[in-house]
Amino acid sequence: MILRRLAPVVQPLLSVLGAFVVAGIVVWACGGSPFEALSALLQGSCGSSTGLLRTLSKATPLLLSGLAVAVALRAGLFNIGAEGQLILGALAAAWAGHAFTGLPAWIHIPICLAAGVLVGGLWAAIPGALRAWRGSHEVIVTIMLNYLAIQFAHFLVNGVMKDPGSMAPATAMVEPSARLWAAADGSNFSAGFGLALLAAVGVAVLLRRTALGFEIRAVGLGADAARVAGVNVGRTMVSAMALSGALAGLAGAIEVLGVHRRYLDAFSPGYGFDSIAVALLGGGSPVGVTLSSLLFGGLSAGATYMEAWTHVPRQIAGIVQGVVIFSAGARYLKGRRR
Amino acid sequence: MRADNPPAVHMRNITKRYPGGVVANNAISLTVLPGTAHAVVGENGAGKSTLMGVLYGSVRPDAGSIEIDGAPVTLRRPADAIRHGIGLVTQHTTMIPALTALDNVLLGFEPVRFGTLDRRTGRRRVEELSAQAGIEVDWLASADTLSVAALQKAEIVKALYRGARVLILDEPTATLAPAEADRLFAVVQGIVASGASVLFITHKLREVLEHSGHVTILRGGAKTGDRVTSETNADELVSLMLGADRSAVRLEQPQRDRSEPSDVSLQVRALTVRGRGGRPAVHSADLTVRTGEVLGVAGVDGSGQRELAEAIVGLRPTVSGSVLLCGEDVTGSSVAFRAAAGIAYVPEDRHREGLILDFDLAENLLLGRHRDASAGGGRFLQRRRVLADAERLLTESGVASAGPLSPASSLSGGNQQKVVVARALARNPRALVAMQPTRGLDVGASAAVYDAIRAHTAAGMGVLLFSLDLDELREVSDRIAVMYNGRIAGVLDRDEAGVERLGKLMTEGRP
Repeated sequence: MILRRLAPVVQPLLSVLGAFVVAGIVVWACGGSPFEALSALLQGSCGSSTGLLRTLSKATPLLLSGLAVAVALRAGLFNIGAEGQLILGALAAAWAGHAFTGLPAWIHIPICLAAGVLVGGLWAAIPGALRAWRGSHEVIVTIMLNYLAIQFAHFLVNGVMKDPGSMAPATAMVEPSARLWAAADGSNFSAGFGLALLAAVGVAVLLRRTALGFEIRAVGLGADAARVAGVNVGRTMVSAMALSGALAGLAGAIEVLGVHRRYLDAFSPGYGFDSIAVALLGGGSPVGVTLSSLLFGGLSAGATYMEAWTHVPRQIAGIVQGVVIFSAGARYLKGRRR
Repeated sequence: MRADNPPAVHMRNITKRYPGGVVANNAISLTVLPGTAHAVVGENGAGKSTLMGVLYGSVRPDAGSIEIDGAPVTLRRPADAIRHGIGLVTQHTTMIPALTALDNVLLGFEPVRFGTLDRRTGRRRVEELSAQAGIEVDWLASADTLSVAALQKAEIVKALYRGARVLILDEPTATLAPAEADRLFAVVQGIVASGASVLFITHKLREVLEHSGHVTILRGGAKTGDRVTSETNADELVSLMLGADRSAVRLEQPQRDRSEPSDVSLQVRALTVRGRGGRPAVHSADLTVRTGEVLGVAGVDGSGQRELAEAIVGLRPTVSGSVLLCGEDVTGSSVAFRAAAGIAYVPEDRHREGLILDFDLAENLLLGRHRDASAGGGRFLQRRRVLADAERLLTESGVASAGPLSPASSLSGGNQQKVVVARALARNPRALVAMQPTRGLDVGASAAVYDAIRAHTAAGMGVLLFSLDLDELREVSDRIAVMYNGRIAGVLDRDEAGVERLGKLMTEGRP
C-alpha cells in the first residue's frame, strides 16, 4: 500500500539511478573511471556558484517547455510540437524586441514575452483544433508543424528578418529595454529562471484549483465521463494545447531575451524534444517537471565540464538522458495501457 | 452422477486477501460436477468474481488448491486455465470491434496451413461448435455490428473453440431481454447435455431456480451454502445470500397515490435521432414524463434506448423533433446547459461514462458542477467547500468509502453507482434520465439507488427510466413505454403492463 503510493516518486528515482549505472558501465568499458567522471559531472553542475547558475540556466527552457508538454499530457494529448512552438515564440519575441524602440523595460519586456506566448499558443491551437473537431491525431500534426516552424523560421531569418549587419543568420539584437537581467559570469543565468518557476507555480494552481484545470484533468483521465457530465471536450483540448504552446513560446522568448539577445537560427539544441522526456520523467506534475528539468539542466551543464577535465566525452550525459527517457516512456505506456 | 467420475472442478479452501485487509474469499470450497449447470449467487462484494478469477487464473489465491477432473493444477495465468479447459465469458465483450466474429474467435488459436491462416477450417470448426450448442451468429459480420446478445454467443463459441469443458458465465443475462435470456439458457442446457459444465454468476434467483442443477451461495467472502437446486427455494436462497437478519431488504413497491395527471416534467416530441454509422436509431418518438412520475422504458437491447436517452440529455444531435423541459424547449442546447436547466443523467456504463476512476470521490462528485458556486466550483475551485459538499453527499447516500479523497476505483460497484446517482441528484433536477441504474447491483444497493430517486420524485422530479429488466420496471414505474426498433410501440399503465403484453410489444412492436 505504502509502496504503491510512493511509486510515482520511487520509479523515476530508480530510473535515474539506473541510467547513471549504465553510463558508468560504458565509461568503465571504454577505459575511463566512472567515479572520476561522476565527480566531474557533479563538480561542473553544482560544485561552484557558476556551475550551479549554469545548471539553472540550462534548466530554464527545459522547465518551461517541459511544463508545456505536461499540460497537454494532463489533457491526454501528446504535444510533440513544443520545439516548433518554442522556435516561433522566440522569433516573435525577437521581433518585438527590436521592432519597438523607446519603451521602458517594464513595458517592453512584457510585450516581448506576450508576443512569444501568443504566437506559441496560436501555433499549438492548430493541432488542438484539428484533433478536437476533425479527429486528426495531434502527434502526427505537431510533428509536421515542427518542420513547418523550423523551416519557416530559417527562411525568415535568412531573408526579411536577417540583420543586414550580421554575417550569421540572425535577427538584429533586441533593444536593451527588452533584455532580461542576466548574470555576468558567463553562466547565461538570467531572470528567466525566476519566470519559469513562476510559470510552474501557475500551472500547479491552474491544474489543481481552477475549473479549466479540472476540465483538463477530467478530459485526460476520462474523456467520456467528462463529456457526459457536460464538459466541452473539444474546447478543453484546444485550450490545453494553446496553453501548452504558450508555455513553449514563453520558453523561446526567454531564451531570446535572457541569453541570446536576438533570434539566432538553430539556437535550440532540441529543447522542445528534451522537454518530452522532462515531462514524462516528471510524471506530468509541475513539481516533478521542475525537478527533472533541474536534473537534465545539470547533466547538460556538467557534461561540458566533465569533458574538459576527464577526457570522458560529453555524449556520456546523453546516455544517461537516453536511458531515463527510455524508462520514463515505458512507464508512460504502461500507465496508458491499463 | 456416477461415483467414478471425478468432479470437473474441485476448488478447496480458496482464500484470497486483498491489500488493505479485505478478505474476498475465506476458505471457500466449490465442487462442480461434469455435465451440470452450477449457479454461484451472492450480493456485490460476496466474493463471486474473485472466486471465478481464481478459477480462471487471473487472481492468485493466498491459500487453497484446485483440481480439474481429479488432477491437481496450478493456474498462474488465464492461459493455464484455458489449457485446462476453463473458459470465461465476461459481462463486457472482449471482441475486437473491427474484426469479424469469426476472426475474433480464431484469434490466438488460429488454424494454420502452409504457414497461413486457414480460415476455412476454422470456420467449419466454429460452425460445428455453434450448431452443437444451438447458437446462430453471423460469423462474417464485424463485431461492432453485432448486438450484445450475439456478441455474448460468439464469446461462448470462442471459449468452446478453445476447448472449454467448464464455462464460466459472469452475469450472463445482465444486458439481455427476457426472450434472449431464455435463448441463452437453452444454449446452456445444450452445452451441459454435451457433458461440459457451466458455472454462472447471477443475482437473479429466478434464473438459479429455473436453470441450474446446483447452486453455491456466498456472502461476505464466505460460503453460506451448497444446494441441489431442486431441493431449495427462493426464500432459503435469499436468507443465505443476505443473512437472516437482512432478508427483509427487497425492492419495495413505491407506495404512491395515483393522483391526477399533473404538470409535465419532460416531454419528447416527434424526436428522430441517428445512431452509429448514421443509421436512424429513433423514429419520431413521443413521450411525456409527468412531474413526480417514473416512466419506465422497456425494450430489447439496442432498440434505440441509448440514442433516445443521449438525445434527451444533449449528447447526441437530433435530426428533427424537440425536447422540452417543463415546457421550455431545450433542443439543440449543450449538455451543460440542459444539466443546469434541470435534466440529470445516469449513464449506462458507470466506469466509462459515469465516473473517472482515477479521480477521487470529491472530484467525481464535482464533475459537471465544477462551475457551480454552490458546489464549491467556479473559475477558481473552493477546495474546502468541495470537500464539505462531497462529505455531505457521501454520508447522505450511504456510500461506504474511506472518505472524499479516496479514488473512485477503490469502491465496489454498488457504491460507485451510489456516487453517480448522488451526483445526478445533487442539483435537485426537474427530470432524471436513468439508463439501467441498477445494472449489476445487488438487492441492497438497488434499493438504495431507488430510495434516493424516490426521495426526489416525491418532490416532483420526473424520471425516465430505461431498463432491460422487466421485473424491475414493473416494480418501480408508474407507466411503461416500450421501444421497438426505434419507435415507441406503446405506453402502458402499470396495472395493465403484464410480462406477456410487454414481451409482445418488445418483440413484435404491437400489442
